[in-house]
Amino acid sequence: MIRNYFLVAWRNVIRNPFYSGLNVLGLLTGILFFFLIGAYVWNEYNVNRHLRNSSRQVFLRSVWKDPNSGPDITTFGPLSKRLKENYPTLVANYYRWDGITSVVSKGDRIFREGIQLGDSTLLSMYGFDLLQGDKVTALNDPFSAVITKEAALKYFNATNVIGETLSIQNFSGGKRDFKITGVLDDIPENSVLALNDANHNNIFLPTQSYTYFGRGDFDNWQNIILPSYVELREGVKAEDLAGPIQKLIADNAPVASQMGMKVVPIPLTDYYLQKDNALVKRLLYALSFTALFLLLMAMVNYINLAVSRSASRIKEIGIRKVMGGVRSQLIGQFLSESFILVTISVLLAIILYPLFSPVFSQVIGKAIPSLSQFPLVFLFIPFGFVVTIGFLAGIYPAMVLSAAGTVDAVKGKFATIKEKLWLRKSLVGFQFLMAIVVLTAAIIITQQVNYFFSRNVGYDKEFIVAAQLPRDWSPEGVAKMEAVRDQFASLPQVANATLSFEIPNGNNGGQPPVYRQGKDSANAIAMQALVTDDHYADTYKIPMAAGTYFQSEGGFDSSKVILNQTAVKALGWKDDGEAIGRWVRIPGSPINYLVAGVMKDFHFGSMQQAIAPSIVFNVKSGNTYRYMSFKIKSGEINETISSIQKKWSQLLPGSAFEYVFIDDALKKLYATEIQMKKATYTATVLAIIIVLLGVVGLISLSIRQKVKEIGIRKVLGASVSTLIGIFMKEFMIVVLLASVVAIPAAYLLMREWLNHYQYRIDMTLFPFVISTAALLLVTALLILVRTFNAARTNPVKSLRTE
Amino acid sequence: MLLELKNLYKWVNVGGNRNFLLKDVSLNVNEGEFISIMGPSGSGKSTLLNVIGMLDQFDEGEYNFLHESVHKLKEKQRAGLYKQYIGFVFQAYHLIDELTVYENIETPLLYQDVKASERKALVADILDRFNIVGKKDLFPTQLSGGQQQLVGIARALIAKPKLILADEPTGNLNSKQGEEIMELFKQLNNEGVTIIQVTHSEKNAAYASKIIHLLDGRIEKEEKLS
Repeated sequence: MIRNYFLVAWRNVIRNPFYSGLNVLGLLTGILFFFLIGAYVWNEYNVNRHLRNSSRQVFLRSVWKDPNSGPDITTFGPLSKRLKENYPTLVANYYRWDGITSVVSKGDRIFREGIQLGDSTLLSMYGFDLLQGDKVTALNDPFSAVITKEAALKYFNATNVIGETLSIQNFSGGKRDFKITGVLDDIPENSVLALNDANHNNIFLPTQSYTYFGRGDFDNWQNIILPSYVELREGVKAEDLAGPIQKLIADNAPVASQMGMKVVPIPLTDYYLQKDNALVKRLLYALSFTALFLLLMAMVNYINLAVSRSASRIKEIGIRKVMGGVRSQLIGQFLSESFILVTISVLLAIILYPLFSPVFSQVIGKAIPSLSQFPLVFLFIPFGFVVTIGFLAGIYPAMVLSAAGTVDAVKGKFATIKEKLWLRKSLVGFQFLMAIVVLTAAIIITQQVNYFFSRNVGYDKEFIVAAQLPRDWSPEGVAKMEAVRDQFASLPQVANATLSFEIPNGNNGGQPPVYRQGKDSANAIAMQALVTDDHYADTYKIPMAAGTYFQSEGGFDSSKVILNQTAVKALGWKDDGEAIGRWVRIPGSPINYLVAGVMKDFHFGSMQQAIAPSIVFNVKSGNTYRYMSFKIKSGEINETISSIQKKWSQLLPGSAFEYVFIDDALKKLYATEIQMKKATYTATVLAIIIVLLGVVGLISLSIRQKVKEIGIRKVLGASVSTLIGIFMKEFMIVVLLASVVAIPAAYLLMREWLNHYQYRIDMTLFPFVISTAALLLVTALLILVRTFNAARTNPVKSLRTE
Repeated sequence: MLLELKNLYKWVNVGGNRNFLLKDVSLNVNEGEFISIMGPSGSGKSTLLNVIGMLDQFDEGEYNFLHESVHKLKEKQRAGLYKQYIGFVFQAYHLIDELTVYENIETPLLYQDVKASERKALVADILDRFNIVGKKDLFPTQLSGGQQQLVGIARALIAKPKLILADEPTGNLNSKQGEEIMELFKQLNNEGVTIIQVTHSEKNAAYASKIIHLLDGRIEKEEKLS
């Protein structure tokens, strides 16, 4: 019996290649996209889940009352260690690290690398495997280094490099060799080795090397720049640490706790999804919903086509009934058909997966796992798909078709379907609705992304190149760099050059609280601190509102600072000029800072956030710097870059010239949005494909059913265009009705999305009108092409009595 | 007695008016009879056949089939009844295009849960008897009309029904093919199968033992042939 079902179903599929092809293509599109998204979601979900005892690994996240006060990814150096010492029944182990970037070299291979100075527990606590070396002793010696496989290949072209050395610079112009004691195997993505996208570490050094790099003592409570992790004892929950943490902070860092700073223990498995305002999680949800909706659209297509094709199946249904087939048997018959089509689609989706995953990886900006990377149990997923989708898509048509009355069926009448026409149309309407929503979303997201790049950022981002400098953070180091800067500035192709700690990419060094001299320090305002030289404003063309940008007659004065207009307002001055020559202070510091200038507001980071109050210190007062930025003259950019490079290797031998254009740096700032833009483009294309497949199918059936009507109308004198109009009307009304629902839905959805951005476009009618119009146009074209022939056919043919 | 219709009425309501399809039809059919139903278009021939075949409902009256009161049965029980005792032959053959000759004939057995081995034997028998063994793997569209009707009859007979209902079985055939089919019916009838056929042709009607003339849904006259 079952064999017979499938045999007949298979023959039906083969006999109607057009119909089957439409269905398979639609289902395939939906299923393939679903698989790709599913793989991506699975991959993201598994971040941090490969770690040893992953359910007990906890990250300590700092929460500041004013988020400008400090980074949330780091906390007090000693905190995690003291938790283990003081609460051994709660905490099994700890790991913390200090992230630095320095120049690493082996012979002529010189690169800038992210480096972790961290506890020796790194390897044992997370169960990271070494390709080479001894896990237990690898990080014991102060000048030993564990490197990733990637780094080993980069510097040595080999992985068996135990005993080799890498030379690493420190920040006071020094350089020394570190002996390689371990090579890490490829390790799945996690928040220990790479805390965020900007922090990708390849080299791991023992804690003791902190003195060489001039970094803060790990066991000093003043050191609050260490990302920290603990491993809980069995049965202990992350929340159980809240009390002990609060107590340790209150005892050891009373100032911070007064300022309302808290440390929240978060399970590492949640951390990745939750970080940055749950950005990853939101993206995963958005993508999953899109995938689900596309799949739903594909299923709707199937249902629609199957039901509307019933006219041609009706005779068979009748005969089967007359021959004693009961309804359940007929349902089985029709379900096997949908199972076959879904099976074909699923198989094709699996075959096409490896072909499309690189394309999709590019859209999503992240590698998608290959088929071989999935666990074996995932073999059941395709089966699950066939059964679930086959059933969901097949059951309704099966019910409708099998319900036909026997006599009507034998006679070829099918009254029931006509009554359900509204259903068929609302299903198509639903598809149009989805298509309009994603198309509108794509347009609005594009507008917003364009806005990021076209809105005046407050400085001139064109033709600025920035490169990280080798570090020598001392007065002599800064003096040398200023000399180097002047040399660069004298190059004919370079208009200006500046030395600074920050470039406008959202990453700045610190968030000191600032208050006006003579006011209450408790009302200090956390400000974004920047450290630059005198030429920064000139190079970046940041306009001044009042005063000057450091340059003053009397030479260098370490007490001078620059504020932005937001800071001036936040500190309570009414007028920019009023602030000039006044004094500000930082709680706990004896220095009085003189406001020398007020610069106009500019976007230091993403437009997602409002412009923060900012304070600029002179590079000579702190002696820290990272970047040299060049304003180059327009013209032959490549030549300019190579002449800078030449000068660089001459002035700064032994360091890499790894440059970035500021506009590219901005692109990185909006990577998620750009990713989202690409994702909506993909979704739009897919949605339109599916919707058009559905329209093609329905139009073809509609033509078949209306052959007679067309013939009669033609005999009565209808022209080709009026005949095409009949079909047009049928679908255009559906599209328009769909847009009535889609437009408010898209509006609400996009308003919600835009609300995440401090600076955003105003939504106009344009995206809504254009997406509806575009769909109308495409549908109309399709209908025109499909119906033209039918309308031209000689009526004698269609009216011939059978 | 095989079946008995008592004062049967069937109607449709058209704009408040009752439009009678069958009007006070009473009929007794004994086992082994061969009956032809005749009448002009719209006289209710097919409707009567469908009602006898339990494919269609009636509005008033009684219908007893093998001492079961059909009008009191539920749809499922009715289906069970005709599945077991009645075979249908159609003017347009109504073979399933997606199935081969063999599979078309086999289908009723599938719906009656007959075992595979038994199905094979039964289908082989009937193919042999109708001389269409060579055509068993062909699809209906590859056959002539006469051959298709032969398959249709074979399919109607496969489950060994007591009653064959044929709605203009020769209507789509040329006269020679038609004659062959009628000879086959005659032969089946001689073997004890009860046959009720609807026909337009006087000549074909004459194969029967009794002719019922319908007019406007009413039995006009019953004509016994020797």
